[in-house]
Amino acid sequence: MIPLQSADVLPQWTALAPALALATTALVLFVIDSIDPDSMDSGLLAGVSTIGALASAGISGWFLVAGTGMSRTGGAIELFGGQLVVDGMALFFMFVFASVLALVTVASYDYLEGQPHQAEYYSLMLLATTGMALMASANSLATAFVSLELASLPSFALVAFLKNNRGSVEAGLKYFLIGALSSSVFVYGISLVYAATGRLQLAAIADVIASGEALDPGVLGVGILMIVGGVAYKTASVPFHFWAPEAYEGAPAPVSGFLSSASKAAGFVLAFRIFTVAFPLDVITGVAVDWGVAFTALAVLTMTLGNFAAATQDTVKRMLAYSSIGHAGYALIGLAVLSGAADQSFALGASMMHLLVYGFMNTGAFLFVALAEYWGVGRTFEDYNGLATQAPIACTAMTVFLFSLAGLPIGGGFWSKYFLLVAATGASAWLLAAALIVNSALSLFYYSRVVKAMWIEEPDGSFEVSSYPTGLYAAVITAGVMTFLLLVGFGPVSATATDAAAMLF
Amino acid sequence: MAVPAEYYLVLSAGLFCVGLFGILTRRNALIFLMSVELMLNAANINLVAFSFQWGNLTGQVFSLFTMALAAAEVAVGIGIILVLYRNFEDLDVTKATTMRW
Repeated sequence: MIPLQSADVLPQWTALAPALALATTALVLFVIDSIDPDSMDSGLLAGVSTIGALASAGISGWFLVAGTGMSRTGGAIELFGGQLVVDGMALFFMFVFASVLALVTVASYDYLEGQPHQAEYYSLMLLATTGMALMASANSLATAFVSLELASLPSFALVAFLKNNRGSVEAGLKYFLIGALSSSVFVYGISLVYAATGRLQLAAIADVIASGEALDPGVLGVGILMIVGGVAYKTASVPFHFWAPEAYEGAPAPVSGFLSSASKAAGFVLAFRIFTVAFPLDVITGVAVDWGVAFTALAVLTMTLGNFAAATQDTVKRMLAYSSIGHAGYALIGLAVLSGAADQSFALGASMMHLLVYGFMNTGAFLFVALAEYWGVGRTFEDYNGLATQAPIACTAMTVFLFSLAGLPIGGGFWSKYFLLVAATGASAWLLAAALIVNSALSLFYYSRVVKAMWIEEPDGSFEVSSYPTGLYAAVITAGVMTFLLLVGFGPVSATATDAAAMLF
Repeated sequence: MAVPAEYYLVLSAGLFCVGLFGILTRRNALIFLMSVELMLNAANINLVAFSFQWGNLTGQVFSLFTMALAAAEVAVGIGIILVLYRNFEDLDVTKATTMRW
């Protein structure tokens, strides 16, 4: 493969092409909307959004294979005076966001049938993904905050999209209130870090701390903890997790899938970059706070709380919402074990792999819920009784998602959880390893309840599946196939993730 | 005659706490929004004061971004509060409880 940007085949700025493709598509949707504002032609809008998302995913996949921003082709590409950076990790996550977006836009084609304001829906979705793609490449606290807001503000509106539905509005309000609170905590943390170091660029902050010029370690420490709080909100981790069940349950199901997969991954990529580049453990320990300890506590609490709460739910969507909190805890392991890890890039890489697999299996599971809502099936476990007799293919895909989420070797979730476990034991983090095993075993219990309802219980005959919507089916089946393919073809993914993570150390 | 930097930290921390207190105790969604504004402006005080202290413009420029984003956040927030009022006939954030909190 020819190295693209470093060998002057393409100009440097083209490294941002995945994000630019998303932004351009959002603007194209605005133009379509301004030409024909009352259009109910969802085919055109969904088609344009899907093409944009697939183009973005394709470009980031191509760049990953060609090695853009990897150490073998000359290292990370810094743009705009080092405010943005494109490296393996940024491209890896851009691929995750764009694939989730493609699945969700295809599914929304059926889900939004007959709804007004569809152009706004799709353009908000594209803009939110643009913000996430920029979060993946943010290299300064300033761009981190701006892109975080670009990802958050459209999400608030998307959750409250069904504006005559009280559940959706309530979810939007709660998501917005917690979001506004935590983004002000985040920006106050940034201002304290700036007060202590006088820099906003990540690498420059680390230099100032290492040289001992930082003003006051106390101020710096409080600032770092507040940044942890801001990141915890975006990833739906303890202590800022309580918006998640409400927002995911009330929002339209495709939006829930989008937020719980892509938005969570965006929070993680920001955390990975901020904490490994701006506050590396060897520099920060002894000066201010050891964030490894903070993340260990958060990881254990998040996993345990998410899984125990999920086990007590009676509606499927809310169960998935709590399970998504539990998965945030698994992904936090990568950050938590960094201090003791023998192979740091493997530990961080394992979290990245988990977020990629999670992007497919969790989005798929939420899209199955969207399919059930489309059919008018109820929300509780009992309402899913006997669904497999009428929709065997979709139920097979859902079974793959659920068992893969639990970590059984039927989807890629098995490998990513196994690698997280290896990373935790490799760092002698026995508490994290034990929490991972216990919680995965517990999660198998509540995921099996859905599978049992679908396949074993007798249908009560209260509903009839009348139609098989093409878009939703295509999205669910694609997600199922991808989840399964990640089980058999996990080698390249893990190699890419580990290489990409190695760039940060 | 420059004011010592610590005074600015105390001022901004005070403003931040006023905002946080408002969020924790008030139930009107609009007051909630104003409290968030106070917290964001507390960050701006720090950014501008320490921009002067460190002798670079980074903090001042970033505070302009923060103000613009605060305005954007209010725009989205007002929209959501409007649909809240239409659906629940109230601005009380504790009244919107169709789901378990």
